[in-house]
Amino acid sequence: MRARTLVLVVVALASAFSGAAMAAAAPDAALVARGKAAFTHRCSMCHRDGGTGTFILARRLGAAKSLLEQRTDLDPTYVRTVVRWGLVNMPRISRVELPEPDMDALVAYLTAPKAPATP
Amino acid sequence: MKLILPPGLTKTQFDQAMAAFARAIGKEWVLATDEDRETYLDQYAPGREDSHAAAGAIAPGSVEEVQACLKIANEYRVPLWPMSRGKNFGYGGAAPRMSGTVMLDMGRMNRILEVNAKAGYCIVEPGVGFFDMWEYLRSRKIPLQMGIPGNGWGSIVGNALERGFSPAGDHSNNICGLEVLTPTGELIRTGMGAMEGGKAWALFKHGFGPSWDQMVVQGNFFVVTKMCLWMKPEDEAAISVEVKLDKPADIGWFTETVTPLRLRGVLDGYVRLTSFQATATVPTLRKEWYQGRDSIPDDVVTKIRERFNVGWWNGPIRLSGYSDVCEANLKRLLDGFAKHTKQEFKVTRLAGNAVSGPTTYPLQMVNWFGGRGGHIGYSPVMPADGKLVLEQFERTRRRFIEFGLDYSGTFYNDGRSATNVNLILYDKDDAEQKERVRKLFVALIKDAKEQGYGEYRTHLSYMDDVADSYDFNHNALRKLNERMKDALDPNGILAPGRNGIWPKAFRDQRGKL
Ligand SMILES: Cc1cc2nc3c(=O)[nH]c(=O)nc-3n(C[C@H](O)[C@H](O)[C@H](O)COP(=O)(O)OP(=O)(O)OC[C@H]3O[C@@H](n4cnc5c(N)ncnc54)[C@H](O)[C@@H]3O)c2cc1C
Repeated sequence: MRARTLVLVVVALASAFSGAAMAAAAPDAALVARGKAAFTHRCSMCHRDGGTGTFILARRLGAAKSLLEQRTDLDPTYVRTVVRWGLVNMPRISRVELPEPDMDALVAYLTAPKAPATP
Repeated sequence: MKLILPPGLTKTQFDQAMAAFARAIGKEWVLATDEDRETYLDQYAPGREDSHAAAGAIAPGSVEEVQACLKIANEYRVPLWPMSRGKNFGYGGAAPRMSGTVMLDMGRMNRILEVNAKAGYCIVEPGVGFFDMWEYLRSRKIPLQMGIPGNGWGSIVGNALERGFSPAGDHSNNICGLEVLTPTGELIRTGMGAMEGGKAWALFKHGFGPSWDQMVVQGNFFVVTKMCLWMKPEDEAAISVEVKLDKPADIGWFTETVTPLRLRGVLDGYVRLTSFQATATVPTLRKEWYQGRDSIPDDVVTKIRERFNVGWWNGPIRLSGYSDVCEANLKRLLDGFAKHTKQEFKVTRLAGNAVSGPTTYPLQMVNWFGGRGGHIGYSPVMPADGKLVLEQFERTRRRFIEFGLDYSGTFYNDGRSATNVNLILYDKDDAEQKERVRKLFVALIKDAKEQGYGEYRTHLSYMDDVADSYDFNHNALRKLNERMKDALDPNGILAPGRNGIWPKAFRDQRGKL
């Protein structure tokens, strides 16, 4: 009986650890997919190729940093803050336009590790 | 943004009202943190952002929830400002006229309820954006077109309620039936929709008795919950005529040529002519051209024109419809031009459905000064007469030069009137320049008034000044509007101050910023 309990505890701990390790390596795919949808719906009109946001970012930070979906240096708090407080000429986005669950997903999407760019 | 309370309310009363809203629509849709308030500030504020600071926002998800909110607002005397998507940049964004007002954000009500290709209309809720409708039409291959403003980020409903426009014309003219709530919560359908089961709501504008739709546009008597809007069937063909006029004075003969053609339906929508400046403000920074604090001088104007290969005045004219009719109309137009100039006009023949979709591209013009920018528009309406248009342009440009600001003007001609949109760009962090903007704006209102011209729409900060300029018989129309306001909205809770219409409860706020 005692041995069985121990096994269960070990199994539980092992799966908890492996879950945590996985979360650090690859964010929840469903969340990232939701974030991509939020980006497409709420951000892409300015922040994809040819958009106003991309253009102004290229002016300010250079072309390499102008497409948000390709950035590898975005920090979750930074993304959140810019969305809600605006930045330079970017208007602020309310919780009606981007509700908190979509914000979480957007942050996960924009900060997810990127596959290396194909040459 | 720190809380500014609605005038006359204590913090306790305000908190009680917000708690009541939360009970009615769910606490996640009552937005009243400092960060929430920040998201409803006017991004392009020509003055101080806290001149028009919302106390928070509420976002109901259904007509019944809007009704519940109106009831609570009346009970607690909380002023509400309805908005659809709040992208009204240049006119106040998502902000209210009076600080302390709570935004009634209708963005969650965003269904496209019907699109009828045969009869050419749609029925939409307030939160539907131009991008949403574009996507809907394209993905279903529905052969209808819509007028899209230069900034395509906003809503179909909010834009039409501002009397917004595009080259397709005045969008409020396409409204054909509305569902609205009075400030006290009665649900009403206008026009043919006033009949239970009425089948022609989106087909015939007026119904029986007075026609109310235009009372809703630019007013503060109702909250709109549904809008029927006419759309245009896709054209068989289109012809684009590139107009580039070399001299400022060319706008005189141009106007005389196109006005009668527009009046007779050879041309449609708004025939527009824009000064050279617009070509530079979007893709370049001012400092690439000129460092001075005065208005851009003529030698720089020449450089800009050379680099972009544009005229002093520019504007494509689009002819569209059946291809044989387009060709006949093109001949009339070019014959008209030939009476005044030997210039060749580049003509491009296009498929009828070759129309551009919504974009936010022009928004980057506010980066003209390099930092945090903004713009406001001064847009008086005047006769579409060549001599008067030329005089209006010259007078306005002189004022821009006097106040050291870069002239950027467009004339939109509908065959009878010309709406002269003057874009005033500024650096939000340059207090001295913003003061010059204010002085220019006041001077322009005065100049236009002397000519008998008045603005068609204005920024929150100038609503009272523009309303003052409509002064026949001691502003009799405003007095009538305010009598209406008091009758429909006894507690004055809906959009106090919009377009200069103040309810009794807040009339002492008129002119205060
Ligand atoms: C670069 C640039 C170019 C632009 N070009 C154009 C252009 O070509 N044409 C043009 O018209 N505008 C133009 N604009 C101005 C503006 O961005 C658009 O008109 C935009 O569509 C308005 O925002 P919105 O649709 O989100 O309206 P909202 O901000 O949602 O609404 C505008 C106002 O209408 C009223 N309102 C909205 N919804 C309701 C409701 N449900 N019930 C009652 N009242 C309501 C409120 O008073 C509200 O403040 C431009 C702006 C910029 C910055």
